Parts: sequence; structure tokens; C-alpha cells
Amino acid sequence: MRLENGIAIKASQLSQSFRRADGQLVDALSSVNFEVLKGQFVCLIGPSGCGKTTLLQIIAGLLLPSSGILEVGNQVVTRPSPERGMVFQKDSVFPWMRVINNVEYGLACRGVGSGERRAIAEHYLERVGLAHVARAWPRELSGGMLKRVAVATVFANGASVLLLDEPFGALDYVTKRHLHNVLLTLWAETGRNKPRTVLFVTHDVDEALILADRILVFHTGRIVDDLALVAPRPRTTDTLLMPQMVQNKHLLLAHLGLETKQAGTGATSSIVRAAND
Amino acid sequence: MGRKSRRRGILRIDPVGIFGVFLLIMIWQALTLALPPSSLPTPSSVVARIGRDFIRAEELSFYGLADTGLLNSMIYTATNVMIAVALGSLVGTIAGFVTARFHNVRAILDPIVMTMGTIPILVLAPFFLIWFGVERMSAVLLVVLYVAVILYIFAQRAADNLDPVYEEYAYTLGASSKRIVWDILIPGTVPQVLGGIRIALAGAWGLEAIAELLGAQYGIGKIIQVLAGATDVQGIFAALIVLGLVAVISDGLAALVFAHVAAWSAAARPGGN
Ligand SMILES: Nc1ncnc2c1ncn2[C@@H]1O[C@H](COP(=O)(O)OP(=O)(O)O)[C@@H](O)[C@H]1O
Ligand SMILES: [Mg+2]
Repeated sequence: MRLENGIAIKASQLSQSFRRADGQLVDALSSVNFEVLKGQFVCLIGPSGCGKTTLLQIIAGLLLPSSGILEVGNQVVTRPSPERGMVFQKDSVFPWMRVINNVEYGLACRGVGSGERRAIAEHYLERVGLAHVARAWPRELSGGMLKRVAVATVFANGASVLLLDEPFGALDYVTKRHLHNVLLTLWAETGRNKPRTVLFVTHDVDEALILADRILVFHTGRIVDDLALVAPRPRTTDTLLMPQMVQNKHLLLAHLGLETKQAGTGATSSIVRAAND
Repeated sequence: MGRKSRRRGILRIDPVGIFGVFLLIMIWQALTLALPPSSLPTPSSVVARIGRDFIRAEELSFYGLADTGLLNSMIYTATNVMIAVALGSLVGTIAGFVTARFHNVRAILDPIVMTMGTIPILVLAPFFLIWFGVERMSAVLLVVLYVAVILYIFAQRAADNLDPVYEEYAYTLGASSKRIVWDILIPGTVPQVLGGIRIALAGAWGLEAIAELLGAQYGIGKIIQVLAGATDVQGIFAALIVLGLVAVISDGLAALVFAHVAAWSAAARPGGN
């Protein structure tokens, strides 16, 4: 029972089907079960169209599942809440608000006083390295800067569950690596007061290996693998060369259909798997 | 960053535009050489006439419009246009937003509004004169109707086109439905709605003048109607030019105000991220 309290997200027999305009029924999620512990950094990886965005939308409360139950903090999710912050796959920063007003918008919605929310927003903008564009319009920022605004906004809003849908998917390598550091630093720092559970969708294997405590592999609406990454943080290029990391990488590449299952250097039995129950 | 700032010079006078106006006046002047003044007065005589009729037009008192000049007629017409554009924009925009979000309402309203928009003003005006009389009300309501139809279409399309990701994002940040309307729907559609208001405003001057021509007691349209009865071409030209100038100036002012209000989207065009 003590363990119950440590669970942030629990999906039970979660299914979602869509009817396409041509009448065809698509199963975006098929009886998905998993639990995520509080404070865990989980990466969801899988090919395009396997239901990752659908899952995040259900957790965010933007979509009600066709069947099954999704609980966050022991409560069934039925609608969006500022406790569950989302960084969308496409740019969602409001173009009609200046950067600083974007970052403090959620706080304003919840009635936080203007002085206090300004201070919080400025703090997080500073942390993502965008203090100098606080008064700019979003259209004046690059794609990477917009993602940083979105990250600053969800952290400023104080959500305990952060849902990030391929946030850095469209960015160049350097910007992406930089933003990984920003994200991990914020996650570690803010997690000291209140654990922040992160669900990070990606289809980039290296990104998942750098970021995750645990990787859930999706394929056609199902979880097909669940890996625990025990490598210490901060992870470096050398970390990625550790034998178990290399094995995990081979396994993930195989799941994505980029390598055959036998291609790994070691036997699959040596791969560390999460206790998935 | 590094994108060059692009404050559009709305007040900057375009030399090509000046040339166009100049060309028009030259053609007009040339035509007066071939046509008698009773058909086409010279530009200078029309300018002189504007000056003479500005405060009080003698000719008009002969035709029963005592103590009237171009200025107070223009103020009457402009007041009607402003009231009609404000009222019509409000009604049309709200209806457009509601129908964009509630499909049942849309199914009912769309055919009605589209039909209303196609009724020629010459057909509608007599009914309005019967129902609302020859006072201000008739002309204003006629213009309100057309402005509302234009804004209905613009606001509905703007709300349809607003990416749903903004509303979803706002909900995940903790916004209430009321906040979604005020912070997302309205600001997110403001550029297109203001564009619609500008188009409606440009058309409203002509509609108001026609409405006055068909039955009114004051206004630029009324002056034109009276002078047309007396085949006073010079006087009609003077009235038309005053109306045209006011319309152009009001459009420029609207563009200026709107560019300020929708500053965030001023460069929402290729190149922006
Ligand atoms: N609103 C929708 N209507 C119809 N089909 C949808 C809708 N949303 C998602 N799908 C389908 O569900 C599947 C999973 O989509 P999605 O969750 O977006 O995948 P991913 O994010 O993993 O790329 C896809 O086959 C997609 O076509
Ligand atoms: Mg997706």
C-alpha cells in the first residue's frame, strides 16, 4: 500500500480507437497497462503513428479514452488540469502574447498576483536562457527558442506531471543537446521540492538514452518493451558507450526496425529490464 | 532573431499613388475640353464649389434643404456609418464565433445569413423605409445588415481556422472557458476580424449614401438625390468627392489603429517561425 502513494500515473486497459473520415476504424491504443512512479523520467519511443500523442492527450485530459482507466495521483483523469502540463508537438506558444506573458499565463489563470507571477516567469525564462527576449513577440523567436518558452511555461506553472510530445524533434543537433541539459537541470532542481514526473515522447534513440530513467517502447498502440536505464547522471558521451547502454541502443533500434533482433553484441538476457507489473 | 524590423509605414505617402491621383485629374481636365460643363464640370470649379457649399449651400435651400452644407451632411452620414459599422461588426462577429463553435446554430444561421447577404439593397431599402421610416434608423439598419453579414463570414472563418492547439494548450495551463474566449478566441482571430471590419467599412460609405438617396432627410446621399433632381452635376461632384475623401481617410485611420492592435501578427507571413 505504501507503494500506491509512490505512483504518479496508472493506465489500466487503456484503449482508444478513432474513426477516420473514410470510415475506417483505427486502434491508436490497444489495452495499454503501465504505472509510472513519482519523479520518474520516462521516455516513450516508437515509430510514427503508434499512438504516443494519443496517450499524452489522454493523460492531459484532452481526450477521453474509448475504454479503460487512466489515473493520475489516484484520481481518474476526465479533464485538463494545470497539474498536468503539456508541451505540444507543434508550436503552441500564443503568438498574440509577449514571451513573458506566455510564461505567466497559467499562473494568471489561477489568480497568482501579478508581481509574484512576473517573478516566477522571469526566473524560468532566465533558466532557459531567454531573459533577453521577455518582451519579444513569439514570431520574433526561432523554433528552438519557442520550445524553450514552452518548457519554461510548464515549469513555471508548477505541474507535477510534465507531458512532452517530441518537443525537440524538429531542432538541430546542437540546440537539441543544449535543451536536454536545460530540461534535465530544471527537472532535477524543481524535483527537490515536489517530484516532477516526466513523460517524454521521442523517436530518437540517443535522446531517450540520455534522458530516461525508463523507456517504454510502443508499437501499433501497444507497449512492446519496458527498459530501465540505471546509468548514472549526468550522462555523457562516455555513458552512452557503457556496455548496457549499447545493448539497450541495439534493442531499441531493433524495435524500430532499424536492426535485426540478433544484431546486438550481447545476449538479450543481460539487458536490464524494469520490473513491470 | 536578426529579422529586420518591419514597421509598415502606413502613413508614408506612396509616390505611385500620388501619380495615380494626378493622372486621374489630368484625364478629367482633358475630358472637360470635349464635354459641356453641364455634363462634366472642371476640377477647379468642383473644388471651388466644395468651398462654397462647405458650411452652407445656397442652392440646397432652393430645393427644400435649408441651412445645410457639405460639412454637416457629411457629419450626419459619417455618424450613421460609424454607428452601423460598430453595431454590425459586433453582431456579426458574435454570431460568427457562436456558429463556429456550435454546429446546430450554424446549421440554422448559415443559410439565413447567406440569403440576406445576397438581397440587393435596392430591394431591401423600400421595406426598411416602410418599417423604420425616413429617419436615421432606416439607413443605419440597412448598413448594419450588410456589415453584419460580412463580419459573420470573416469571424466564422477566423474561428474555424484558429489552430485548436491554442485552446488545448490554454486548458492544460488551467484556463477557464471564459478565459478561452477572452484570451484565445478573440485575440487569435483579431487580425482577420479587423480585416473584415476594414472591408465592411469601405463598403459602408457607399451603402449609406444609397440608403440616403432612397429616402432620408439629411446626409450626403440626400444632397446628391436633391441635386440629381435639379441636374446640378457640379454639386453632385462636390458631394461625391467629399464622401470619397472621408472614406479614404477613415480607411487609413482604421489601418493605422488595426496595425497597432494586431501588432503581434504584423509579420505573420513567410519567414516567421
Ligand atoms: N483525431 C483523429 N482522428 C482519426 N485518427 C486519428 C486521430 N488522432 C490520431 N489518429 C490515428 O491514431 C494513430 C495514432 O496517432 P498518434 O497518437 O498521433 O501517433 P504518434 O504520436 O505516435 O505518431 C494514427 O494511426 C493516427 O492516424
Ligand atoms: Mg505524435
